[in-house]
Amino acid sequence: MVNPEPRTPLTMTMNASKPAALAATPLAALSQMAPAATSPTVEQLVAHIQNTNDSIRGPAWQNAGPAGAPAVKPLAGLMTHKDFEIARAAKRGLWKIVRHAGRPGAQAEAESVERELIPLLASTPHTVRREVLWMLSEIGTDRAVEPMAVLLADKDSREDARCSLMRIPGPKAVAALKTAFGAAPEDFKHALAHALRVRGETVAGYPTRKRVPTKQTSVKQPTS
Amino acid sequence: MNHANPKIARRDFLKTGATALGATAFTLPQLLPKGVLAAAGQPGANDRLVTGHIGVGGMGGGHLGYMVGRMSRGDVRVAAVCDVDEKRLAGALERAGEQARPYRDYRYVLERKDIDAVVIATPDHWHAVQTVHAAESGKHVYVEKPACCTIEEGKAMVAAAKASKVAIQVGSQGRAQPECYRAHLYIANGMIGTVRKVTCWHYETPADNHPVPDSEPPPELDWDLWLGPLRWRPYNARYLHGVFRWMMESGGGQIRDRGAHVMSNALKIMNADHTGPVSIEAKGTLPTRGLWDSAITMEVVYEFKNPDWTLVWSQPGKRIPYYNPDRKIRDGYGAVYHGDKDTLILWAGDGQTFTEPKAKDYKLPPGGIDVPKAVNFNNHDDWFEGIRTGKPTIMNVQAGVATAFLTVLGNLSLVLGRKLHWNPVTQEIVGDEEARRKMSRPQRYPYVL
Repeated sequence: MVNPEPRTPLTMTMNASKPAALAATPLAALSQMAPAATSPTVEQLVAHIQNTNDSIRGPAWQNAGPAGAPAVKPLAGLMTHKDFEIARAAKRGLWKIVRHAGRPGAQAEAESVERELIPLLASTPHTVRREVLWMLSEIGTDRAVEPMAVLLADKDSREDARCSLMRIPGPKAVAALKTAFGAAPEDFKHALAHALRVRGETVAGYPTRKRVPTKQTSVKQPTS
Repeated sequence: MNHANPKIARRDFLKTGATALGATAFTLPQLLPKGVLAAAGQPGANDRLVTGHIGVGGMGGGHLGYMVGRMSRGDVRVAAVCDVDEKRLAGALERAGEQARPYRDYRYVLERKDIDAVVIATPDHWHAVQTVHAAESGKHVYVEKPACCTIEEGKAMVAAAKASKVAIQVGSQGRAQPECYRAHLYIANGMIGTVRKVTCWHYETPADNHPVPDSEPPPELDWDLWLGPLRWRPYNARYLHGVFRWMMESGGGQIRDRGAHVMSNALKIMNADHTGPVSIEAKGTLPTRGLWDSAITMEVVYEFKNPDWTLVWSQPGKRIPYYNPDRKIRDGYGAVYHGDKDTLILWAGDGQTFTEPKAKDYKLPPGGIDVPKAVNFNNHDDWFEGIRTGKPTIMNVQAGVATAFLTVLGNLSLVLGRKLHWNPVTQEIVGDEEARRKMSRPQRYPYVL
């Protein structure tokens, strides 16, 4: 794992100074413009992402980054849409928001997005929880550790929680992994032991299983 | 031969043989000369390199066919074939012959003490994990390109090769090609002057214009094992086979598929295998629908320092037709080397690499600079030589990882939508916390480095 660098000190960003008038820019024009230069309203974004026309839906999610924290919950709500292309567009739009917020010098935006993502860990379907965990792995701070660590006890998302916590810098994430290791069922302890070792911790027992074969083929050699 | 430890004995034996006879005595294609170490015409088991093949579809099928061909020459024995797709595995077993055993789980292959080397031709997201595990198991490795999907993976591959002292050859075979060598020779001897810019062109990444919903995997496929290190998600028919390379997580588009060839040649010719860019800036267009998420069009600018030069990857860029219209070659991709006196073009850059007549006809003058050359201009033969002698191979793991890092960083800049700054000495992104976190991608247990 990589040692984190401190975030760049907060400065005024293009997003933070964005005039409200830009919010009304027709979305059709967005694909011709730099993503950070303008953004639609959240309502427009949500409407366009639900549009079945690729030429409208595609640019909508691709330019969703500047929509920021207010769009997090509405897009998360579309990630389980019955139309898989809409669900996918919502997910990708949400990722755009995360990556835009994670840029250097945008700490306040990242924190706003993080704050919107955290509650989604508690109540959404596990498919969304898993995705949100990975989003937090990129921009999450100590604030996210505890709610992420709760999911180490959730069989549907514990592996994603473990992986995502591995990326969160600092001792709090390590402490959460340690606590989970103590309480985890046997079938999850090896994975947690691995995570702790990657983070530089010494773990007694639970040797790696990475090179232990487990899966047999049903293909047989021809009998000669 | 009946050794207490056949594997170690065979390796010692090969090295002793190489030392005793001198490397030049071992002109390939034979691993060891027939009749010297075995009964004439009937090489003994210990004269042969025993291989296992992990991933036997696509390029893996090609490698298997090549090694099966070498079996008839007596210097290879294919002992294992492995795939997570049982249909592919059954077909490969039939091709490999009755001496081969089938496996679904590559770790059984690594457990076999009689196997010296493995050929890994799985989707990209498996390359690093399987290479590291193979090296830790003492196996030599031929791994398909691109070498790795993350910075962490690449570093682990280099470390594993160093610790285990195995020969790892990455399947960017363009730099093993004779015309790549001729081009390198031409440029290294100053024929186009000082090169400050290399521009690559390549046609676009396809879009998934036929998206389908997630579904149950077909019965012949072990979906869990196909995913391996990737986070779990439902099966979708558009993930495989072959098309995995249009997914960012399991492939990464043309910049990784062919960029790992074209830019590998650039690093060799620019003598940059041991360094990297200081900045990477990508822009591109993403598909508006479907599962595949790699950039359709793309331009990445890499700035190198000391010496200063610029590498540009362009999809589609400006296609340059091959100079000889009577000869049909793949000229949908290639690179132009811009010197201060002249330019030189390399077309394609993978299994077939072509250059201009002025470089093809160039004769090295007395006192001229020679450049690294693959044994027999063949990536496999060069790997065999590396196994035998311990010398670095033409596309050794460090070179393979350096090339893969270009592709990783290019895609990362695109995904994040911003310029990245890279320290080529420490091999770390600087000044961007999110990008730094993405230098690794925690892997699903137990499919971990």
